[in-house]
Amino acid sequence: MKRILILICLVINTAQAAPVLIKNAKLAQAGLDSNVLVDILVQDGRFQSVETNLRLADTVSNTLEIIDAQGQWVTPGLIDSGTTIGLVDVPGLGISSDNRVEDFPLSAGLSVALALNPESSLIRMAPTDGITRGVIIPVPGNSNYAGQSSVVEFSGKTDFVVYADNAVHLYLRERDRRFAGGSRAAVLYSAVLGLQESQRYRNNRRAFKTNKLRPFSLKEADLKALDKVVSGELVLAIHVDRAADIRSALAALVEFKSIRPVLMGATEAWKVADDLAAGNIPVVINVLDNTPSNFDKLGARLDNAALLTEAGVRVAFMSSEPFSEFRSLTQAAGVAVANGLSFKHALQAITSNPAEIWGLESLGMIEPGAIADLVIWDGDPLELMSAPVKTMINGNWVEFSTRQSLLARRYLSISKGGAVDSSSTALRKK
Amino acid sequence: MVKLLIILGVIGFIGKAGADVYPSTYKAPSAPDILIVNASLYIGDGNEIENGYLHLRQGKILDVGTGSPVDVEDMSVIDAKGKWVTPGIIDVHSHLGNYPSPGYQGSSDGNEATSPVTPEVWAEHSVWPQDPQFPLALAGGVTTLQILPGSANLFGGRSVTVKNVWSRTVQGMKFPGAPYGLKMACGENPKRVYGRKGSAPSTRMGNFAGYRKAWIDALEYQESWAVYQRELNQFDSEQSQSDEPGSDKKDRKEPSEPKRNLKMETLVGVLDGDILVHNHCYRADEMAQIIDLSKEFGYQVTAFHHAVEAYKITDLLAENNICSAMWADWWQFKLESFDGIQENIPLVHSAGACAIVHSDSALGIQRLNQEAAKALAAGRRLGLTISQAEAMTWITGNAAKALGIDHKTGTLELGKMADVVIWSHNPFSVYARAEIVFIDGVVRLDLEQGLRPVSDFELGLRTEDAKS
Repeated sequence: MKRILILICLVINTAQAAPVLIKNAKLAQAGLDSNVLVDILVQDGRFQSVETNLRLADTVSNTLEIIDAQGQWVTPGLIDSGTTIGLVDVPGLGISSDNRVEDFPLSAGLSVALALNPESSLIRMAPTDGITRGVIIPVPGNSNYAGQSSVVEFSGKTDFVVYADNAVHLYLRERDRRFAGGSRAAVLYSAVLGLQESQRYRNNRRAFKTNKLRPFSLKEADLKALDKVVSGELVLAIHVDRAADIRSALAALVEFKSIRPVLMGATEAWKVADDLAAGNIPVVINVLDNTPSNFDKLGARLDNAALLTEAGVRVAFMSSEPFSEFRSLTQAAGVAVANGLSFKHALQAITSNPAEIWGLESLGMIEPGAIADLVIWDGDPLELMSAPVKTMINGNWVEFSTRQSLLARRYLSISKGGAVDSSSTALRKK
Repeated sequence: MVKLLIILGVIGFIGKAGADVYPSTYKAPSAPDILIVNASLYIGDGNEIENGYLHLRQGKILDVGTGSPVDVEDMSVIDAKGKWVTPGIIDVHSHLGNYPSPGYQGSSDGNEATSPVTPEVWAEHSVWPQDPQFPLALAGGVTTLQILPGSANLFGGRSVTVKNVWSRTVQGMKFPGAPYGLKMACGENPKRVYGRKGSAPSTRMGNFAGYRKAWIDALEYQESWAVYQRELNQFDSEQSQSDEPGSDKKDRKEPSEPKRNLKMETLVGVLDGDILVHNHCYRADEMAQIIDLSKEFGYQVTAFHHAVEAYKITDLLAENNICSAMWADWWQFKLESFDGIQENIPLVHSAGACAIVHSDSALGIQRLNQEAAKALAAGRRLGLTISQAEAMTWITGNAAKALGIDHKTGTLELGKMADVVIWSHNPFSVYARAEIVFIDGVVRLDLEQGLRPVSDFELGLRTEDAKS
């Protein structure tokens, strides 16, 4: 946890924006009555004050930027709990994808942070949909342990990694059996063996260095990563769909007292909701994925989030792994509401819950002292026809100009009976 | 007699090439009179009624209007106060049934990827009517869908248009009288699939060479039947004359039919205007090339599917009367979708061209109304003026037009099939759910009653969650 704070502080220190006052915000956030408009003061990358009819102290700089939200919705910056932005540019183009390692002898020890590209064109898109942070996850290519995810901010800055290694990802889905001989029996056996080996490694480091231990099935980097999983320093993100597999995995992990599992995908988690609530195990789901597309997902349904929340499970949403569909995060939250989840809980699933689940202190809430990620919307943030008007990350407004918006502007006049915008087809040096 | 023979000859030809084989056996059950009142209605043709009624009788739309109907006889009345009514949603691009759930090799029947030119395969021979994705699509208000072969091939085969009803057979779902479509594909997929095998096509120019060769063959085949027909007509007339005494034409041999060729029958169906071309094509430059291809061989492209770059050539699309079936915001998942923009659909619409929202997805088909909403919002943010009633045409009226069934469904106009959805909220809201779905006036889904179709596959596996 210390490491998170240190890294976040580093990011904050680079932010040197003028203070901003957002007046008359309709704050959509847990514990607040959204009918009461508030004023939000941002300074040095943090929320300073959040209150009605805020009176500014004299100490606030005269460079203060004042924005009147005029009663529009304001939310914390949204957090996508599972995406590949920055790791994959064109999913169908293998050469642009760094989320899968196929032929290399490391597994849990791999870190996607080494492959992240802060200049991916996709990163500029995220804030235009209100998404300010994301968990960038690996998928398995050679082992059920796919490696470690990173948490990044979608600011477009080169130092956009908030937390390089925040979780080790373990895949137990139907198609992941091939990495362990083809049966779930071997999958779970080898996964637990890895954790056990990491403890033998931890307790015998000197012997390991001098090669006096019987051989391990994993490399040292993997053992180190799994050791952090066992100690609870890193989250163990378990990608699993079938209820039976969720039960088996949780039973197999009982011997590791400090482990912090988070279920990912978890199509049939609703069937074991009470156990998950009792074990305080959070669940990250892809709301829209409701087809029984394989025999692990026979229980797929749109009210998974509602049923889990009702049982007391902390739920967060992810866009989806293979496609560039992070644009659908608010849509997913809205669909969850249409299927029984409360608006408040849906909003939490893309703000404060992921912050809690991934250990992102000072994120996911608009409150004094918290990191200033926020979004001003032109309507209900979960509605399809609403969009962010402005998005702030670390106290800085994010530029909304994307490749996509430039393309739209270049060709707009064609649809009005005109010609291609020629000023955009030839570049002149200024 | 001569005339009759000619007619029989023509019928004989149709019987082989384009006749009603594997015919639809769908018959709507008898439907009660239903009056929906106090509703907001999107008609599906670009118009709306703020407070109106819709009268369904015997599976057809009998009346639609503002306010209340004059005389309400003895019929079942649904009070739709605060709710919205639309035509049944139509998806012009689906693979339900030929890429069903669960999706395994054993159920994967969408691409006959063994040859780049397979107009002889028919999607309906691949469709599994017990795919549990059909009821999910119905929950999204989808009453009609076109199921297409995949895009591995230059010519993927014939599509089939079905009504989204539970049935033991595909024939029991087939939309009566709907024309066939021919799936064609541009770009990356064919050249990837066959280039990998070391065979043609492996480039976009190879794609075009493949299309052109096939159309040349089709013209030749068409001509061979025309020649046969002429010879037959001549033969028949000679035979009738030969009854006259002294005729020497009695011994003339009857011309023999050309051998049937399934590939060519489909292509000639296109050249004759009976089969509609649905062309998977992402890039603007390729669509422009396909338009020239269609002119070279004298056929009409009905719709470009995916059409991620349609916004770059909206003028060409309008001029050539070609619909574009598009996603709201799928983009960048492959190289040829790199330039996808959220404003694509509204830009096509604004140019006066036919815009359609399609899914190509078992998930997307469940919320085409939401996709339309996202696209509409993006267009408005770009400054385009489009009403919600107009945007509704993207998933109803325009979709029906592209499938050649707009005289039967797609709008809430008098005499059309009573394919109707009652929504809990405005369908452009994310919170809207299809509460009641009628197909030919029959309630197929009723949220409050917990009524929905259940596929064979779901029995005992998913029925415990039937309430949702």
